[in-house]
Amino acid sequence: MPEPLVQAERFSYAYPEGGPAASLHEISLELEPGTFTVLAGVSGSGKSTLLRALCGLVPHFHGGVASGVLRVGGLDVREHGPGELAAVCGTVFQEPETQVVMGGVRAELELPLEHRGEPAPAVARAVEETALSLGIGHLLERRTDTLSGGELQRVAIAAAMVHGPELLLLDEPTSQLDPVAGDELVWLLRRLNEDWGTAVVVAEHRLERCLPAADRVISLVEGRIACDAPPREHLAWAAEAMPVLATPGARLFSLAGLSERPASVKEARAGLRGVHLEAPPTVAPDDRPRRRLLRRDNRPEPALALRGVWFEIEDGPSVLRGLDLELRPGERVALMGRNGAGKSTLLRLAKGLIEPTRGRVERAGEVALLLQNPGDYLIHEHAVDDAGSRGVAAAGLEGREQANPRDLSGGERQRLALEVVMGGDQPPAAVLLDEPTRGMDRAHKDALAARVAVLDAAVVVATHDTEFAASFAQRVVLLGQGVVIGDGAPAEVLAGGRHFSTEVARVTGGAALLPEQAAALIEPARVVR
Amino acid sequence: MTLIPSYRSRPSALHAARARVGAGFCCAFALVGALYRNPLILGAALAGILLAGFAAGVGREVGRSLRLAVPFALLVALVNALVYQQGETLLVRGDEFLGRRWDVTLEATVEGLMNGMRIVVLIAALGGLMSAAVDPDQLLKALRRISYRSALTASLATRLVPVLARDAARMGDAARCRPHPPGRLAVVRAALAGALDRAVDVAAALEVRGYSLAGRPARRRRPASRHDLRVGLAALAIAGIAIGAAVAGVGHVEAYPTLDVAAGPAELAVASALVLLGGAPLLGRAARLGVAHA
Repeated sequence: MPEPLVQAERFSYAYPEGGPAASLHEISLELEPGTFTVLAGVSGSGKSTLLRALCGLVPHFHGGVASGVLRVGGLDVREHGPGELAAVCGTVFQEPETQVVMGGVRAELELPLEHRGEPAPAVARAVEETALSLGIGHLLERRTDTLSGGELQRVAIAAAMVHGPELLLLDEPTSQLDPVAGDELVWLLRRLNEDWGTAVVVAEHRLERCLPAADRVISLVEGRIACDAPPREHLAWAAEAMPVLATPGARLFSLAGLSERPASVKEARAGLRGVHLEAPPTVAPDDRPRRRLLRRDNRPEPALALRGVWFEIEDGPSVLRGLDLELRPGERVALMGRNGAGKSTLLRLAKGLIEPTRGRVERAGEVALLLQNPGDYLIHEHAVDDAGSRGVAAAGLEGREQANPRDLSGGERQRLALEVVMGGDQPPAAVLLDEPTRGMDRAHKDALAARVAVLDAAVVVATHDTEFAASFAQRVVLLGQGVVIGDGAPAEVLAGGRHFSTEVARVTGGAALLPEQAAALIEPARVVR
Repeated sequence: MTLIPSYRSRPSALHAARARVGAGFCCAFALVGALYRNPLILGAALAGILLAGFAAGVGREVGRSLRLAVPFALLVALVNALVYQQGETLLVRGDEFLGRRWDVTLEATVEGLMNGMRIVVLIAALGGLMSAAVDPDQLLKALRRISYRSALTASLATRLVPVLARDAARMGDAARCRPHPPGRLAVVRAALAGALDRAVDVAAALEVRGYSLAGRPARRRRPASRHDLRVGLAALAIAGIAIGAAVAGVGHVEAYPTLDVAAGPAELAVASALVLLGGAPLLGRAARLGVAHA
């Protein structure tokens, strides 16, 4: 039995007064070398705090009170600071921009080794080997401010791993990335774990991404370990105790009354094949877009229309190329496409933050735009000063009018910022949201979907989140190369795609998008059988 | 688009030379701006900088820095012309105001323009050519052996300035999205709070990379490349000529009471040398060997 790499005995921690609410209560666990562990939990459950304790930032950087024992690589985190613990563990945080500290990639990788006083030849070799192993050799001479989010996150992992630590800690590393970059990152972690034997502990909301690679899932609820089990057992527990921590595939099996809890799409497909439950490849007629059900004469005037819109950058590409798009009042539209497809540009044009180089934008009234970082809208000391008492109430924050917006959770800030942009004298004709679900847990996504569902305005959400798009939208517009390459009901656009499809669509071969829809299709099939 | 360019790796001899050498080359031109007022020599230095910039593939960046420098230089010229009353050639007879006459003389105007040219040369050499063609990480790394924490702080600052500029632009967009745009003070205060948040995040990132244990980094020995030698020799030659000629009184300028600007064979020789040395290490086949990253 190898010596545990991490050993916690009744470890508790409380942030200093006024700090974030999440804290840890009596954490006891052991992690063996070479294991892949996923930390699950809703926002504020203590995942980040536990990771920060493992790397020594808690309590040495954040202050606060710690009790019990937590040893990492034999070092007690209460006695050894992050500098000493860095020899044992590498740490990667959520925001790629602020953890890459040097201007060049090579310099970034050299820095941790220089801190340790490594001789120049050893530094050069370690940088070279790490970069090649992590597939960033071609980035070594690049400036960090020219890298994409996915590339930056890879560089951050390389900088955390360059000195060869036994343990890699990652706090929601994919939350700021598009799905492709996020999936690539998880594959990279898997490779580090399997090829290098590095123990990985990753906190992640999108469990379906990580569970296929995981040996173990530790679920935290209000700072306590609620479940510590292999992935399938975790999913069985989540189905009963905490459905928001179940993957879509597992929810599908649970709703369909099947006993298995698949941890991957492959297992889910096999599970369905095993019981001969082939869902019929049909699309429910109600899922067709509402705009197509309306006769042209009866269609209301568009809330927002883009007519032949081009957006061309000087000395740069054409981001949008003659785009035509009409949005009706009350329509719920998910705007999808890879990074650089023109989603954010389209929203900015619709709001009027930028002007098209050709074509025109027609607005039936005010357009409310919530950009990617809700914190940018919350600039006052008190929530009520930002959104007014009506806005605070609409955001579900009654009684917290005097709260500092910076003390609110991510989901609460998102809702409050939405009320800020919609707080004009007249209700907006269109509400546009740019990547609102990044880093959000499922409960917060559901709350957001419920809030926008009651609006009379046309709602457009630019998102990479196919599950959210499938649950919220009546219409999905897919952008590629600055033009619309797909426009239809979610069941049409998201069912057959390889990339733009939900997990349940991949499991059911496109017969359904969401667990509830798939379960409804599977149930009769089972009766027939 | 910022007027002070940021470094991008390019296949040029100036980029390929080690950072200390490249910085020395740019500083040698800046030295000319610091030592001389002679417009012929300053013009030649500027031509040398532009030639070096185009040869290094950063001509546009150097040109952009001139857009910052020229208005500044004109302001200096204007202030000099208004403030200094010496000189015998009257251009404009001004009225009495604030207890003094506001005459403008040719000599004071030219003196102002020459001082402005010095500023242009300094900005083009340091703010243009050096910013665009010398890797700040490598340069600050060399300084880290002298003062580790100060040099690392400077590295962080160069990295974070564009990040904070993007944050500020984002917050400006968010303010425009509000139905009732907030006051500028509130936005500035929020931007400052955001900058502090960034600083805390960066501090945490540095901590987990072992910053608290940091000592003096080990010296790294690299064989000198042909570009180190060529650019370094050019830098030494420029600095040597600038200092030597200044000591010898070449490029003499007397503005008052009448203009006396030396423009003899010695000045022409210095000017020609500056232009040639700006391009020589960066042009030709030898300057193209081994400049790209493998």
